[in-house]
Formats: sequence, structure tokens, C-alpha cells
Amino acid sequence: MSSEPIIVSQGVGKAFQIYAHQNDQLKQILFGLWKKFYKDKWVLNDVSFSVAKGERVGLIGRNGAGKTTLLQILCGITRPTRGSFSVKGRIAPILALGSGFDGLLTGRENARIGAAILGLSRREVDACIEDIAAFADIGSAFEQPMRTYSSGMLARVAFAICAYAKADILIVDEALSVGDETFQKKCEAFIANFAKTGTILMVSHDLEFLRHLCDRVIWLDNGVVRLTGDPAEVVDAYRAEMTPAA
Amino acid sequence: MKFGALERIKSLSPNLLSPDIYEPFQRAWRHRELIRAVARREFISRFRGSALGPLWAVLSPLFMMLTYTVVFSVTAPQLAAGKSITDYAAGIFIGLIVFNLFSELAYRSPMLLHEHVNFVKKSIFPSETIAWTATIRAFTYGGIAFLVFLVFRLVTGGAWHWSLLFTPFLVIPFALMILGVVWFFMALGAFTRDVAHIMASIVPILMFATPVFYSLEQLPPNVATLLRLNLIGDYIEMFRAIALDGRIPNLIGYLIVAIVSYAVFWFGYQFFMRYKSVIVDVI
Repeated sequence: MSSEPIIVSQGVGKAFQIYAHQNDQLKQILFGLWKKFYKDKWVLNDVSFSVAKGERVGLIGRNGAGKTTLLQILCGITRPTRGSFSVKGRIAPILALGSGFDGLLTGRENARIGAAILGLSRREVDACIEDIAAFADIGSAFEQPMRTYSSGMLARVAFAICAYAKADILIVDEALSVGDETFQKKCEAFIANFAKTGTILMVSHDLEFLRHLCDRVIWLDNGVVRLTGDPAEVVDAYRAEMTPAA
Repeated sequence: MKFGALERIKSLSPNLLSPDIYEPFQRAWRHRELIRAVARREFISRFRGSALGPLWAVLSPLFMMLTYTVVFSVTAPQLAAGKSITDYAAGIFIGLIVFNLFSELAYRSPMLLHEHVNFVKKSIFPSETIAWTATIRAFTYGGIAFLVFLVFRLVTGGAWHWSLLFTPFLVIPFALMILGVVWFFMALGAFTRDVAHIMASIVPILMFATPVFYSLEQLPPNVATLLRLNLIGDYIEMFRAIALDGRIPNLIGYLIVAIVSYAVFWFGYQFFMRYKSVIVDVI
């Protein structure tokens, strides 16, 4: 790798606490110092990789492989149970479409809140809100309550906010598949452009999309990195495994 | 697996053991833009779709005042204990403003994280700010109700006292205490929804243990002393003192209440921050 790593994950593991009874959660808080009321369920076991500045990295794996959990850890939403990671720079996550949007508020109002969550000041939001509207390109619907939006329109607004968040790292979880052809083209162009200055980590089940957009693909399987390398190779190996033997 | 108490205590954040007094405020200041944006969202979505909109924040306390004045002037002159009916109604109204502020947040706080689950789980969101926005909202309505009260008071022949200038010194420790309560029940409510039901049963009982419809002076001294443990009641009495009687509350009593309030604030904050990272996984 020519340039310095911007995301480093070293032996990251994550165990969720599984409670046999709902009440055990409360017991854990009250008496947790003396006794343990849960079982561990390891979603991630030992994930080590690094992403260099300016890289476009795709993340694949079957459902439940731990992709989303890994992204949540890198974003700092949840903490790893073991291992360590470091992320240098501001992250813009597109983790779930339309989440965090309030159906009663307009696209514009939601975009303002979304940008504030990403850490933009009010002045910065004022400066880029028109650009966000233009990028989302949903016309007058931007001034309508978001409950009237289609899932594609939600995706457009969600992506537009992150596009202007002045982030160093873009983390995308399955966000682009609902947009129409025009918007997908726009996102691809944006991602290609973004990679000139920033770093991208994205999860997708659209293997062709990853194959021609990424520099590298990481295959996550059962909480460990199964294979990492050239997109074409990893995607082919993954596809071979996923296709049931004839 | 070894799971001794000592190991668990050692795993506590160092912050809990050597607290930094300014930390909760620094964090809130760092996220001020976010708090502003989310607070604004609460106001907008509350009044979106209603014709009168924010006017309701003025109208509902006004109707409440009128109702209480009329009802008590008809039904219960003996309760007033020598005061005029408007004074008595005003005392109750102050009690209700303060208690409603507390009860609204007490009912809501166990559900707060569930309300904001998408923020908390799907974006990089400092969840402790939810307590600030909820408290700001409640105090804004409380403040509007208080202003309505002051105007109403003037119209019905009461006077404004200089002691009203003491209001901020009551509001600030009261707000800190409420914040601590919100943090505590917010964290607890994330683990089990029973907390919401418990609050729904406890708060009405607490209302009778709070001098809302009566004044501490009317009680036998030993009962009054016991009820002084209820901080909300102390605040109600102090607000009555500055708004109705025109006197500054007893300073030693005030300081004790303020210090205890700050302790509640501090404990609630530490409790929430201690469980913050676990909460994401359980809601």
C-alpha cells in the first residue's frame, strides 16, 4: 500500500449479550457486579484488515456474517468486545435508509437534522443545503413531509446529505440498490469522484456493482475475513461458494 | 468464567472514579448544533398539522388557569385557608407547572431511547443529548405556562414582585435535577419496558406527596419535614415564595436543595454514560 492506512482493524470481535429472559437484563444492571446473567453470542470473531487512504473497499458476505456490525463498530456506534480499531478522519455513514428521518418533517428539515448529526454547524448546513437539494434532485418534494416519499426518494436524500458532509470516509451499507438508474449513475460518479480525496467502505449484495467500482473486496464469513483482494477474484470465489452445487 | 466484583469495579471508566465537573457541559456544548436541530424538530413535529400551531402552548395553560380559578371559587373556599381564591388558585397553578414539568419527563424518559432508536442505532449520535433536548422542550412549555401565569396574575389583580428576578436561580438547579432524573430513567428504560409502567404508577402517588394542592405550612410539622425530602415540593414552595409572596427563599434551604439537585444531575449523568455503550446493543 502506497499511502498510510486510514482504517485499521486488529482482531476485532463483538459478542452480543443474549438473555434467556427479558428480566435478566434488569438483573444484570442491578446485580451485574456479582453475577452474570447473559450468554455471549459472538457475531464477529477476529477481524483484521486495513484500508488505505483513497481506497474503495467493498465488503461482502452472506446475511448474518457481521457486515453491518463491523460497520457500526468502525463508526463508533457500538464498541467491540475485544480487539482494537482506529479510524482517522470524519465518517459519514449511510447505514440504513430513511432511518432517523421524521415522517412529519419535510425533506429539507430532515436534511438539516441529518447534517447536524454528522457534525456540521448551522452555518455549514446553510451553505450546503441547496447543494443537497440539487443532488437529491427530487424537485418540489423536498419541501413535502417525508412520509409521502418513496423509498428511492428517501435514499436520494440520505445519500445527498452524506455527499455534502465533508467527510473523509464514506461508509455505505446497502444504500444504493433502491435508487433508479439515473440516481445510481449519479452515485457511482460521486463515489468515483469522492475516492480522489476520501476513502470508501461499502457493503453491497450487488456483486457487479462492487466488481467495477472497488479497488479491493473483503469477504466476511462467520465473523472472520475469509478472503481479501482483487474484486474480480473475491467476487468469483464468493459466487462459487454461494451457488449451490449442482 | 471468572467474574469477580473487583474486576468489574476496575473495569469502570476512570471518569467515574475521578469525575470531571465540566464534562457533561462540555459535551453538551460540543453538540450544541445537534441539540438545537433536534429540539427544533420536536417543536416542529409537535405542531405540524394543527391549525393553531404553537398558539396551543399558550392556550392550554390559559384554559387550565381559568378552570382552576373557576372550580375552586365555587367548590372549595375552605381549602384556601384565609387566602383569596385567586391566590389559592395561583398557588396551585404554580405547583402544577412545576409538577407537570417533572411528570411529563418522568413519563417520557423511559421511552426516550426507544423513540430515538433510529438515531441511536443507525447514525453516529451522541445519545446523551436526547436528555437535553427533551428537557429543553419541557422547560420551554413550562416557561410559556409561567409567562401566561404572570400575565393572568396581573390581569386578576395580583402584583409582580422584585423577587421574580430570582427565577433563574431556581430554574437552573431544577433543570439540572430533571436532567439527572431523565438520564437515569432513560438508561433504565432501555433495558426493560417495565420502567415506563412503574413510572405510570408512581408519579400519580408522588403528586399527592408533593405540595401541589396544598402548602407545606398547612401540614403538621413532622409530616412537612418528611415531605421536604421531596425536592419537587421544595421547588414548588420556592417558586411560590418568589412569585406570590414576594420574598427570596431561605438561602440555606435553597443551597441544600441546589446541592442535592446537582448530585442528582451528576449521578444520572454518570449512570447513563456508564451504560451508554451497552444500551446500543439492547434497545
